[in-house]
Amino acid sequence: MKINKDTDVAKRMRARNSARLRNNIDAWILMLPMVIILYLFVWRPTVLGGVWSFFNMRAYTVLDFCGLDNYIKVLSHTQFLPMLWNTVQYVLWSLIVGFLPPLFIAIMLNEIIHFKSGFRVLIYIPAVIPGIAAMLMWYFMYYPDQTGLLNMLLGKLGIKSFGWLNNPDFTILGIIIYMTWKGFAGTMLLYYASLQSVSVEVYEAALIDGAGPFKRLWHVTRPAMEGLLLLNLVRQIISVFQIMEQPLAMTGGGPNGASTSLSYQLYQYGFNSGGKGTGQAMALGVIIFLILIVFTIFYFKLNKKVEDRY
Amino acid sequence: MRKVILKAAALALIVSLLACAFAGCGKKDATKDEEGRTIVSVGNWPAKSNPQYESMNERKTRFEKANPDVSIRPDEWTWDRKTFYAKAAGGQLPIVYQTGFTEMPEIISSEYSADISEVLSKHGFDGMLNEDILEVISKDGKVYALPNSTYVLGLAFNTELMKSAGLMEADGTPKQPKDWNEVADFAVKIKKATGKPGIVFPSSGNYGGWMFMPVAWSFGVDFMEKDKDGKWQATFDTKEAVKALQYIKDLKWKYDVLPSTTLIDGTEYNKTFATGNAGMMIAAGDVPTKVFQYGMKPDHIGMMAMPAGPKRHVTLLGGGVYCINANATEDQIDAALRWLETAISFETTEEFKTNTKNYLDQCVETNQLVGVKGMSMWSDKAESQAWSNKLVDDMANSNINHVRLYNEFVADCPADIQPEEPVCAQELYAVIDSLIQEVLTNKDADCAKLLKKANADFQSNYLDNLTY
Repeated sequence: MKINKDTDVAKRMRARNSARLRNNIDAWILMLPMVIILYLFVWRPTVLGGVWSFFNMRAYTVLDFCGLDNYIKVLSHTQFLPMLWNTVQYVLWSLIVGFLPPLFIAIMLNEIIHFKSGFRVLIYIPAVIPGIAAMLMWYFMYYPDQTGLLNMLLGKLGIKSFGWLNNPDFTILGIIIYMTWKGFAGTMLLYYASLQSVSVEVYEAALIDGAGPFKRLWHVTRPAMEGLLLLNLVRQIISVFQIMEQPLAMTGGGPNGASTSLSYQLYQYGFNSGGKGTGQAMALGVIIFLILIVFTIFYFKLNKKVEDRY
Repeated sequence: MRKVILKAAALALIVSLLACAFAGCGKKDATKDEEGRTIVSVGNWPAKSNPQYESMNERKTRFEKANPDVSIRPDEWTWDRKTFYAKAAGGQLPIVYQTGFTEMPEIISSEYSADISEVLSKHGFDGMLNEDILEVISKDGKVYALPNSTYVLGLAFNTELMKSAGLMEADGTPKQPKDWNEVADFAVKIKKATGKPGIVFPSSGNYGGWMFMPVAWSFGVDFMEKDKDGKWQATFDTKEAVKALQYIKDLKWKYDVLPSTTLIDGTEYNKTFATGNAGMMIAAGDVPTKVFQYGMKPDHIGMMAMPAGPKRHVTLLGGGVYCINANATEDQIDAALRWLETAISFETTEEFKTNTKNYLDQCVETNQLVGVKGMSMWSDKAESQAWSNKLVDDMANSNINHVRLYNEFVADCPADIQPEEPVCAQELYAVIDSLIQEVLTNKDADCAKLLKKANADFQSNYLDNLTY
């Protein structure tokens, strides 16, 4: 009798294991295409890029192990520090110029009563213009003679033409202004969605307690948005730190390297060095990755703190 | 049911991914087609919208009829520095691809171009190519490309603006500036008469560096030399280089004859000139192909000789070449050369005549200037250049006096013809681009200080890292 009982238990366990295995196989079959694609297009190139940064390369052919040679060449490049500083400037200007406007516009949009969806569409238009077209448009707006739109406006006001992107002191800020114009709508929609999730009752309670608009913003809106703001802050730092297309299309990294970022230099190593700089491109990619990983760890730590508060 | 469909779809995706991954693993000979013909893929094939498309297809049909053992496979990929090395590493290059003289040292050292010395000999090319050009496409006595066009730089001008400034003779011949000071004088006159910049000089996308070369050489600058240990040394931290850079700076700040923008790459350079926003520019003989797309009429383009500098009268040699993929088999190399010979020939074969005529017909049809002659890539033994030049004269679609001074300059060049710098030419151009941008944006820029730093940077960032 006992033997039969044991056999039943064993049978049930076998059936359960087999069902779990079948489920696992099902799950793997469903996941496998994505895993293969991720392996081929994300994980493998990322890992290989890291590995190849320690090798001498002839164009994309791996030659021999060279230790830290590629890293030394990148770090001892006479323009490395200026390029790093340019990249930091891009990030700083993007935070000064571009971080808060989407939030303010989202708050304003949230407060508007009439034509809300119309404004939403109008505000979102820059985000749907193709990148290169928008860059060219701004390139011509910034054109340094009287045919440039901005100089035309200055001319109407009796002010002398300005060099805009031709001015090394302005070029990074000019590119950031364009990027803010192009990118703020997407972020604004995120903030707007988050604002709409704030309970109306909380605002009403604050109103009854005599809180003015700024107090409501600080004590009701801010806590509700803090997590998202933090997330966007770090995302913005990470994304602007990798800026490449904008200086490539608008200034060619100039004038005299004033808008050359680290990622732009990586592109030059990888695609514009006649195959001589591929190893350095990999090494610079790893260096950028390491810098950004510090921000990412910082983000996760801060994010945890914010989440713990609620 | 939904789960089953999802699973089936996932499985199908996996199978197709694996099929893609293993495609091409078969043992079938990819160099021959089903009929046993040698396959030759040819890059730079014109797109359907290109006026040259029909004549290229006709050329292909005629060639395959005359060479039944060869199958030509069109490939629209055009040489691009950014994609070339990735394609080459992935084995995706066409068998025949076109590139420029500048790229040859790197392509040869990367071993992506086949040694075609033997097959050239077999086809009778020995002694037929111009020695100066042969040097550019060879290494250690082996030839790695076949040139298809060669040019020297000269001075292009807008005939309307030159005329307004009183710089043209009644028969359409321009007044020739003899040196760079006269070029500046001409530019001032054009600006005074028309309000347009007298000259455009590029500064970005490596174009500035490229155009600065002949100017600097003419001031007596040597950019690099090989020392006794075989290492390359940058040598342009000199007073001659300072004078050459100062000249560019003066065009902006002393003469005020340049356009207001100081970030001018190759596209912007040609566009500025083509749209009548500059009187002159340094350009190669292929300038008509670069400006017609902006609507510049053949009659508005002129070319004259390169001016001399204080130390030398010199111009830059450039051009295009056809390379044959290093992975090509012997049969493919031979077939590829037969294909190339239909348009690049030292003999005036019927096929060569037809293709050259077709090309010029297309130029006339698309309103490109016909009349500028290229530098001969052949030795004196070749007969085809004289025939081509006569055809260009016969088919000229503008006042031939507009380009006469350039054609005479090319035919019997009084200047030294110098090829591009032997190593890191593009990197050098990028370094010079930055210098030009600096002197054009900063009125107080110190040329000597800038050159000292650029020389040191070029040495440490590029020449010291050179492995060939």
